[in-house]
Amino acid sequence: MSDTKDLLPLFKSVAERVDRRSFETVTRESVITDLGIDSLSMMQIVGEMETEFSIQIPDEDLVEIVTVGDLCSKVERRVG
Amino acid sequence: MTQGPVTRIEEQLYRIYMEFFETAERERRWSLFNDIPWDKVNPSCSDDLALCAETFASVEMYLPDYVASGINVVRPWFGRAWWQANWGYEESKHSLALGEWLTRSGKRTKDQWFDHYNVIAEKQWEAPFKTARQMTLYGVVQEQATFVIYVKHRDFAKREGDECLYTIYDFIARDEVAHTRFYQQVVKVLLAEDREGTLADLAKVFAEFRMPGVDLVPDYDERILQMRGQGGVDRDLFIRKVYLPVLKYLDISRHEMLAAQRRALQERQDARENAAE
Repeated sequence: MSDTKDLLPLFKSVAERVDRRSFETVTRESVITDLGIDSLSMMQIVGEMETEFSIQIPDEDLVEIVTVGDLCSKVERRVG
Repeated sequence: MTQGPVTRIEEQLYRIYMEFFETAERERRWSLFNDIPWDKVNPSCSDDLALCAETFASVEMYLPDYVASGINVVRPWFGRAWWQANWGYEESKHSLALGEWLTRSGKRTKDQWFDHYNVIAEKQWEAPFKTARQMTLYGVVQEQATFVIYVKHRDFAKREGDECLYTIYDFIARDEVAHTRFYQQVVKVLLAEDREGTLADLAKVFAEFRMPGVDLVPDYDERILQMRGQGGVDRDLFIRKVYLPVLKYLDISRHEMLAAQRRALQERQDARENAAE
């Protein structure tokens, strides 16, 4: 299982798998739309990260995600 | 000409259409001549409001192409073929109402409006997907997105003090949401018949979805930038008001979509990379 302390590396690897390009320079402060990740890829990245930990972020929380850190934090909180 | 027996799916789709049509006839019909308060046009409204209305009208003006491709794809299915004919009638009122508003508000002359149609007619819309099922799923997404945008622009018209355009957008939005509900009912039947195949097609449609005016309507990109300022569909809105509601209505979980979506996104990426080579 991935490191639950900091999920940035997991985000990068999932995003690279989904969008087939490098996200090496991404930080937690990066705004997801600025990375050129569209809405469907974003849903896929969220879903893949949820699957990794067998968790589910409520749909209503998804729209609050603006930065990479927002997404990582939501997963981290549920992983404990 | 002898036809085979009516299949179960044909019967279901016919019934869905008849329920839709009955509601439309009894409760949703509106008249361009009797129900729109033309005396409530605000001639001093902004040019932005007019540009947005013209853009909506432009997209709606590809109606001949939408109807031609749609009705031919579903020709073998009685209920769906009649749906296409009725859909064409309802959609035809949208561009007529918006065109009338543009000229009655003084924002465009009749000559400008007809010239604009001639420009529109120079290009032809082509169906973005090949099969009836994919086009039905495209209908779900496109009508839902269009409904969301019209509601936002209905509010824009209200802010501009134009009760006439507000009413037009209200009628159109009601039509669009009724259309997406019809498509959703059809998709439920398709899911029951072939869930895996329908999910694959839904993922493909989400992955390749574009609004129909792209590459067709003159100055589309500039128009869309302008419209976004007044209430377009950004990423959050698409997720919140289109993607998630569609999945919820169809009783599909986000996780059920993942495998099909993964394949669809990879195919989209393949296509983009091939196009770039």
